Amino acid sequence: MAFDLGTPVNTALLLYILYSIQRILFPSNSVPQIVPNEFKNGYTWMPKSHPPTLLYQTFTPKTLAYYNGEDGKRILLAIKGVVYDVTAGRNFYGPNGMYANFAGRDASRGMAKQSFDEEMLTPIDQPLDKLDDLTPEEIENMKGWMEHFSSKYIVCGKLVENDAI
Amino acid sequence: MALSDYLITDDLTIILALVAAGLFLLHNLYKPQALVHPILLGRQSDAARVRNPSESAVYRNYGTGMLGRFPLRPNKDQQVVLDLVKPDADAPRTLWSTKIANPQLKERIANVGAGLTRAVGLVPQESNVLLLLNDSIEFIIADLALSALSVPTFTVASASVLSPVLERHPPSVIITDAEVLPHLLELIFDAHESEHHTIVVVGDINSAKLPKLNNVKILRWDDIETEGAAATKSPLSVPDPNDVYTVSFFATPSGDLEGAQLTHLNLTAGVAATRALLPPSSAMSPLDTIVSAFPLSTPYGRAVAYTALFEGTGFATVDSTKLIKPEGSAAIGLKDLRTSAAYSISSPTLLFIRPDHLDSLTEAITQQASKSSWSLYNFAWRHKLAGIFEGYITKQSLWDRLVFDGARIKVMGKGAGTVRAVIVSGGPLEAQNLTPARIALSVPVINAHSHPLVAGPVFATHALDLQTFPTASPSLSASAADAYAFTYLAPVGPPTVNVEVKLVGVDDAAVEDGGDPIGALHVRGPSVGRPLSVEEETQEEEERGWRSTGERAKVAANGTFKVAPAGKA
Repeated sequence: MAFDLGTPVNTALLLYILYSIQRILFPSNSVPQIVPNEFKNGYTWMPKSHPPTLLYQTFTPKTLAYYNGEDGKRILLAIKGVVYDVTAGRNFYGPNGMYANFAGRDASRGMAKQSFDEEMLTPIDQPLDKLDDLTPEEIENMKGWMEHFSSKYIVCGKLVENDAI
Repeated sequence: MALSDYLITDDLTIILALVAAGLFLLHNLYKPQALVHPILLGRQSDAARVRNPSESAVYRNYGTGMLGRFPLRPNKDQQVVLDLVKPDADAPRTLWSTKIANPQLKERIANVGAGLTRAVGLVPQESNVLLLLNDSIEFIIADLALSALSVPTFTVASASVLSPVLERHPPSVIITDAEVLPHLLELIFDAHESEHHTIVVVGDINSAKLPKLNNVKILRWDDIETEGAAATKSPLSVPDPNDVYTVSFFATPSGDLEGAQLTHLNLTAGVAATRALLPPSSAMSPLDTIVSAFPLSTPYGRAVAYTALFEGTGFATVDSTKLIKPEGSAAIGLKDLRTSAAYSISSPTLLFIRPDHLDSLTEAITQQASKSSWSLYNFAWRHKLAGIFEGYITKQSLWDRLVFDGARIKVMGKGAGTVRAVIVSGGPLEAQNLTPARIALSVPVINAHSHPLVAGPVFATHALDLQTFPTASPSLSASAADAYAFTYLAPVGPPTVNVEVKLVGVDDAAVEDGGDPIGALHVRGPSVGRPLSVEEETQEEEERGWRSTGERAKVAANGTFKVAPAGKA
């Protein structure tokens, strides 16, 4: 019988069969030179970036004020010299949040006295609030807030005076 | 002609269509399933959320997590090292050439302890004993007996460190082998010391011609054991797990003498970490037999031996672990690995070996396989490699039966059928040698990293990880050694379950831009011993306990590390 398939359909199917057989019997052995960034694209893969890690930095009131959450920036706030990254709580501390006053500022007095008013914040160019006139209960309250922040958000720096750096 | 004239179908079409459909299904769906899902290999270590300037974040194993507690011991019952000999496991197993069960082992340990106290007069916590033994059951018995007596033992990782140790940290008693005794006596004689030495010798000394030394008292191990067996044994106080029970002396790359002080806790944590090397589905059990190429005088070798002791497996070491290597011996490669056959253990199932052993084993197997039938071997290699690219390897495939099993039997003997996992450490392993080893052996090959300060492994790859990365172009690094290491060496995986690591001296700008952190490796954890050179600890909780390893390392985005071996300072 002559090996004449006669029809394009049969030829196409035959070619496909030969191609499949070739792929099954002679699988590819080349290591892909570009490592994929998703596990869907290959068994050997590498994530695009490292897990996010913040650098522990030293802030002054002036440099801290920059991070008030506007234009998608990070939101930081400080209590008693410890700077917390509260970007995860953008609803509260972001530009339209209830506690937006605290963004980028030293919130120690406000945390102690449980108030979000403007009077609780010291202006940026003045020395840091010494918190001398707080009662022991208020200091306890502030420490409680510090613990809450330490567990919920990330400690990412310390706050020092404007002229300390 | 109309289009319909071209699309004539007949019976042949149906047949071809069925075959095509079958092949399509076969090709696309009959892919072997990866042994571990690749999503798990994308995040192998957990990184801290904050890092200090010029340091990397602290990395821990993803299973432990930044908030998890480190496993300190394999079980809550194992508080001190002697507890690793489980009293209720009474099935006998072979340690080197001695078949012994745990109750008899504990009895021998108690006998030796009592005998040593009587014969030598050891004072707990004040006397020191130098163990200068080759790996043998006497080493383990002496070590455990002295740990129960709260007498610290000294060990030396290599014979070159012996004279500085004798000089600076003179021991009260030295326990040694008949093989090592002449060398030791020579050293004492050369040192011209007037100190009185007591030496306990294992083995037969009558045949050896020994120099006569006046200030040396030589006792025999067998005598001590029989004396101890006859003596009444008073109950001993249980030592605190945080007491230093052994010091392992080694030479740093710059040639200085350094000692790793190990507490009971370090060793139990090391055993916990070594057990965690294998996945729970194929954990160690009394059916296993472990062959180790790491001497018991090093913390890693000791952790491996004690893991074998704890699990009730058989155990033996190879000849390259001997302190004084006999003349003309092959201290590397396949010949060294075969010396474990001299002991009467059953066929090994777990191998703790060095990269040179793995390389020569792989070479021998592939050469043997290619000798049989060149085209079949290439075909088999091709298919096995394709399987590895999918994340799958098995010892029971068609290609093994056709090609590789025969080669393995010729090279490994009975081990071909019994070896079920290989753990490689103790030197740099090149990435291009790892995949051929995986194909040749077709069992999990775990690349681990050990350090003279740490009992147990520091880093270890996931047991079922088969990823093969292309050799990247060398990036700019501080030194040529770094560039070579980070380009060509295989990654060693994430930190083990009870070690946390950080890199010091990283380039902050590069890391903030998303580059891989590269820096000096520091480790901390319950299995990390304390170096003798560290006298004071910083008081701060954050800083305390970090030990510098003297090696440089690099982290990749999936949490695996590459470690450049420590060069000369």
